[in-house]
Amino acid sequence: MKQQPKSKIQSKPGFASLTQAKWPVTLVWLIGLILIWELAAFEVAQTKRTPENVLPHLYQIIAAAFSGKKVTNNLTATQVVLINAASTLLRAGQGFVIGVAFGYLLALLMSLSKIVEKIAFPYLMLIQMIPILGMAPIVLSITGDINRSRIVIAAILTFYPIAANCLAGFKAVEPQKHELMYSYGANKFQLYTKTMIPATWPYFFTGLKISAPLAITASILVDTLQGGGGLGSMLSQSLKHAMSVYVFWLIIFFVAFIGMFSFYLMGVLEAWLCPYRKWEKGGNEA
Amino acid sequence: MKNTAGRLKRATGAPASGIAADLNPSERSSESALAEPAAQSGISLSGVSKAYPVNGEMIPVLKNINLDIKQGEFISLVGPSGCGKTTTLRIIADLISPSSGTVLIGGQTPRQARLKRRYGMVFQSAVLYDWRTVIKNVMLPLEIMKLPKQEQQQRAEAMLDMVGLKNYAAHYPGQLSGGMQQRVGIARALALKPDILLMDEPFSALDEFTREKLHEDLLQIWQKTHKTIVFVTHNIAEAVYLSDRVCVMSPHPGRISNIIEIGLPRPRNPQAKTSATFSAYVNLVRSSFEGV
Ligand SMILES: Nc1ncnc2c1ncn2[C@@H]1O[C@H](COP(=O)(O)OP(=O)(O)OP(=O)(O)O)[C@@H](O)[C@H]1O
Ligand SMILES: [Mg+2]
Repeated sequence: MKQQPKSKIQSKPGFASLTQAKWPVTLVWLIGLILIWELAAFEVAQTKRTPENVLPHLYQIIAAAFSGKKVTNNLTATQVVLINAASTLLRAGQGFVIGVAFGYLLALLMSLSKIVEKIAFPYLMLIQMIPILGMAPIVLSITGDINRSRIVIAAILTFYPIAANCLAGFKAVEPQKHELMYSYGANKFQLYTKTMIPATWPYFFTGLKISAPLAITASILVDTLQGGGGLGSMLSQSLKHAMSVYVFWLIIFFVAFIGMFSFYLMGVLEAWLCPYRKWEKGGNEA
Repeated sequence: MKNTAGRLKRATGAPASGIAADLNPSERSSESALAEPAAQSGISLSGVSKAYPVNGEMIPVLKNINLDIKQGEFISLVGPSGCGKTTTLRIIADLISPSSGTVLIGGQTPRQARLKRRYGMVFQSAVLYDWRTVIKNVMLPLEIMKLPKQEQQQRAEAMLDMVGLKNYAAHYPGQLSGGMQQRVGIARALALKPDILLMDEPFSALDEFTREKLHEDLLQIWQKTHKTIVFVTHNIAEAVYLSDRVCVMSPHPGRISNIIEIGLPRPRNPQAKTSATFSAYVNLVRSSFEGV
């Protein structure tokens, strides 16, 4: 590992330094995971469960990813995963964007008006309490279209972490900053554009990092509601046939990767849009 | 209210004119750039009281404050925690209004003075905007004023120069030390070219070395710009060293128990802190607290 010079000016906003420090941990973690997996796979193979290869060896899964063998509908395992992933991720992405926009807007309105906050907050809590599967029929009956309701559900799940985090961000602005703006004779618009909204960016990104994987998981879950394409439907179907067990595992790995990647992507976005964040300390007070 | 000013007399008459001769040419030019039309900027508080409701009962926090701060004066408010120093400052700044009594800033109400941007504020913490560079932080009040971009830039640069941070314009606050951050806060307060600086324990979070350096810088800025400075602190030596007058406040309820004129000659230098007169003033301030 390279010693980073302590000079605050020179240090790049790089992710390289971050991964540099973390790779040994990642390696140990990965080896441990492979070890556990393989032990479990041997155990499953010996005890002959049904379907027989419910937990295949890792090399079998990797081989399945690259094999040209048709699994269903004249498609290879990898093709099945990618085609279904496209529709699921598209819905997740659409829901995510809508949820983020509405979440931030609601946080902004709640910050602007105590009345809006008092009215909206219980609903916000309520939405959070209803299980997705309970929400689905309601949303479906409102939108009247399964695909649209899948997007809406992804949006609803994205919405809450964004709204809650950004509201916390608006509230965390130090009273002295309000006083400064007041002493400058700033109007409400200036207060928000110069102080409040920029102050919420770190909270916004925290919300994004929670929401992005959530939108994907939710999207997969609601795939199973009615037939049609999507990773979720493939997951529930594939486990029933010994042939397509590999598809099941490929999807699991793919989803895990995409989930982590979406989290990582939000971090990259944050580092790019908020370069000042890397110098942040506990605060300037002490 | 007894005034002990007679006991220790002021040694020098016109401090500002004395220092002007010592300024080098570049400082003199920045002085003329900073010179403002001498608006009347004395502050007068008469019969100011403030009470807060606590559990349905009105608790007096300030009681009958009478204080006349002269234009261009450096005055300190000292006193133990909870004696109402910040409250007094916030009343002057129009952040809160007094329960009774009147406050006039150069003949204007605090609200008028605020809207005319006649004062700049500095807090204990720098309260910088993490997401703005140093120069953008200093430009913030000027953006609110909607000054032309060019002028914002020029003014902010001049202010950073004055606090010795010319080379840090492009840095982010997180890259600066606590003392440097506080300087940025001062530059930002000065950027409005206010007649008055309101400073609430601006140096109390800093180490001794940085604080002493900032004392010198603040005195220099004051000599250059002739601002009225109201300086809150609970450090007696700091108050004596910096001020023309020290206003001693006592708690329960907050009141002025003494106003002491500091007769140490100007310009002052750290050497002054070792003199017997200096210690005499410190002791005088210390013995002025009531009920602590
Ligand atoms: N909003 C408020 N409601 C009730 N009491 C208050 C309020 N603001 C201040 N006080 C009380 O007023 C008193 C004076 O407060 P103030 O902040 O002016 O003290 P201070 O002299 O600045 O003290 P410190 O040196 O600790 O900063 C304190 O006892 C405080 O509890
Ligand atoms: Mg205080």
